[in-house]
Amino acid sequence: MKTESNVAYIARLTITLLLITAVVAAALAAVNSVTAPKIQAINEQKTQTAIEAVLPGGGEEIAFTDDTGLVSTVYKGQSGYAVEVTPSGFNGTVTMMVGVDNAGKVLGISVVNHTETAGLGAEAASQGAAGTAFRSQFTGMSGSVSVTKDGGQVDALTGATITSRAVCTGVNAALNAVAKLG
Amino acid sequence: MDFKKQFKEGLLTKNPVLVQLLGMCSTLAITTSLFNGIGMGLAVTAILICSNVLISALRNFIPSQIRIAAYITIIAGFVTIVDLALQAFIPALSASLGVFIPLIVVNCIVLGRAEAFASKNTVAASAVDGLCQGIGYTVALIVVCVIRELLGKGTFGGGILNGGEGIRLIPAQFPAMQMVMPVGGFLVLGFVIAGSQKLMKHLEMKNKKKEAAK
Repeated sequence: MKTESNVAYIARLTITLLLITAVVAAALAAVNSVTAPKIQAINEQKTQTAIEAVLPGGGEEIAFTDDTGLVSTVYKGQSGYAVEVTPSGFNGTVTMMVGVDNAGKVLGISVVNHTETAGLGAEAASQGAAGTAFRSQFTGMSGSVSVTKDGGQVDALTGATITSRAVCTGVNAALNAVAKLG
Repeated sequence: MDFKKQFKEGLLTKNPVLVQLLGMCSTLAITTSLFNGIGMGLAVTAILICSNVLISALRNFIPSQIRIAAYITIIAGFVTIVDLALQAFIPALSASLGVFIPLIVVNCIVLGRAEAFASKNTVAASAVDGLCQGIGYTVALIVVCVIRELLGKGTFGGGILNGGEGIRLIPAQFPAMQMVMPVGGFLVLGFVIAGSQKLMKHLEMKNKKKEAAK
């Protein structure tokens, strides 16, 4: 190293690091080209399953201008709408699908993505007894929903009032969106 | 290269979690079900072996002044590959571990082994080191997972057994929810570290007695 000039020394460091990053980038590009279509298909499948869970027969995406910042997409089907809403939960955004029939009643809800606390808020999305019971409460509700603590009819999940409130906020946003459309 | 010695170090006497206290962030955060523990353990083990091998192979090529930048680039590359592969092939695990997979980049076990071992040893020894340290990490995670899941949810094998619900060992009304929350993580990890120290002391005493008997 002592025999190298300063320029050669700096060039050697730069070129070595450049080579490593170039090889890593090329490897990542190769992996990404294999996995990207698979990941996209999985995400589409997830959304489709969520729509069908809350709206029998599924639906087609329709244009909707949202002024609440909560509604991301609206799908229209035979019996009503599936509305994708993104209320804020305890740790981050809860992405959920809310089915609303043409009369403005909730058909069902399902949680697509969330980052709620495992064992507490995450129950809102679980297939277990607590989660299923919590979500099924919403079926048939209309107008405005809220948890019992706030004077509403929804029993909050144990230890997860914030998450339960977020789900209510999402359902309300979906109901309002459909009311605006209908 | 001494496989037996390296294995014992990885599993017990130099266990990355229980003795070196590396990778605490993921250890405390994801150890709420057996599925998470095994998944995270295997992901880290795979990355450790790959990064150790590559860094060891390049150890004479990378100038020491830029070694940290080079290591992190290599590690980040492997982590991203594992992250993409999990999203594409095991989406359930990817959803369950969430942000902790990308965070393996800054998991100090991986960089720690690169700096402490792979940069000074042969490729084969580094691969064995990655495997042994990875096994040690996985075993420590599984122990913490099983205890937290049992005390916090009353189940065993959550995420894998019994259709993802886990086998219920304690009736649903008894488990203390706090054990799957962060506070439970700190408590359980502390007791597991204490237990492993006791076990090591015990083994050491036994060895000494054996030698004395000779």
